[in-house]
Amino acid sequence: MKNIGAFQRAALRIAEKDLRTEFRRSYEVLSILTFSVGSILICSFAWSSGSVGSEPEVAAAALWIILFFASILAFTTSFTREADRGTLGGLKTLPCSPLAILAGKIIYGTVLLFFVECVLIPFSIIFLNLELGGRFPALLLVCLLGAVGLSFAGSFVSGLVMFSEGKTLLLSFLLIPVCMPVLMPSVSATREIIAGSGISEVVPELRLLTAFLLMITAVMILTFEFVLEE
Amino acid sequence: MSNNAIAVEIVEVSKRYGYLQALKSVSLEIKGEEFLAFSGPNGAGKTTLLKIIATHISPSSGTVKIFGDDAFENGGEIRRRIGLVTHESFLYDELSVRENLLFYAKLFSVKEEGFLDTIDFLGMNRWYNVQVKQLSHGLRKRADIVRALIHNPDLVLLDEPFAGLDTKTCDLLVNYFKSQKGKTLLISSHSLEWTKKICDKRISLDRGEIVGEISF
Repeated sequence: MKNIGAFQRAALRIAEKDLRTEFRRSYEVLSILTFSVGSILICSFAWSSGSVGSEPEVAAAALWIILFFASILAFTTSFTREADRGTLGGLKTLPCSPLAILAGKIIYGTVLLFFVECVLIPFSIIFLNLELGGRFPALLLVCLLGAVGLSFAGSFVSGLVMFSEGKTLLLSFLLIPVCMPVLMPSVSATREIIAGSGISEVVPELRLLTAFLLMITAVMILTFEFVLEE
Repeated sequence: MSNNAIAVEIVEVSKRYGYLQALKSVSLEIKGEEFLAFSGPNGAGKTTLLKIIATHISPSSGTVKIFGDDAFENGGEIRRRIGLVTHESFLYDELSVRENLLFYAKLFSVKEEGFLDTIDFLGMNRWYNVQVKQLSHGLRKRADIVRALIHNPDLVLLDEPFAGLDTKTCDLLVNYFKSQKGKTLLISSHSLEWTKKICDKRISLDRGEIVGEISF
């Protein structure tokens, strides 16, 4: 129990440090937000003759394409920046397990992506004319779970490539297949909710997302200690 | 810790990076409270040896014990007793010196009052709330040393602590390290001028092997 408490404290401190650093830097968060909002506006111009909300496939695709590319931008700075600047060594001096470091990065990524979603979703509702009615909490839940999934995948892949040459390119390439089990159910559930389904009708997609989270957690527990070795 | 106890015990440690053999069957015993320097040409294996002792990297073969415990079986607890300074700074540019130190202090369960004396000794008061990216190399090194010693470790590992520093800062660091009685200090440095002021003896490495041991 004591170890779990220490693990949680370490993970939260690392996440807090990353969030403070990221928002202090600000230009990268602003880049992500600008990209997200700009993409929504471009989509709304493309469908100026009608409402994107009446085409749930298009709206769901637009939302998750933007979130996926935002996550690439976000996770480029996760472990790879620590390795480039040498501060990864400082994390390795800490009296906590490597998994606590990874957990901190996952929390950081989830909060960052959720922050992006808090801007992206209202913009999408307004500019893509999404009529959600009472289904807004359902959409929020799917987006949050999707953000958690992208954060698990993105943090792990960022750790895998941090000592590689061409790490930014490698991160982008590897994120696509690793994030597929997150994106497929997320896009499907988002499409269904926009089309009028309730949360109970997207339970299979949520189960798939949860299964992926459990699977990637098991892989991380077994392998991450070796990932941190130079 | 008594100076008869063994602080670091390295037995037949080798480290290979692909085709490069960085360390070849190195064995060494370092007693508690000993101040020891590692010297040798570039690529001799000094940094690799320090990183293995610090549990940053694991050896390809051999065993490492720190204060009697296997370094890699109990990594988290061992790291509570080790402080490491390398040529790379472990401080975050966007945060102030204080924010950086508090980040590390909280993870080592140390309160701010516990390291203010060190801040004072190393003349960092004026820059305590300044962002690290605004500091000169010498000030950054001083802040990094505070970071490494924030949890009062028993074993202090310093990789090129004097590189790129002016004489005044080197003098300050020498006086500070000499005051750390009761700790075991390992310094890797090309600068014999400064290390002989602190250390009792020097171990020379070349091509991954120990080639000599000299008392200062």
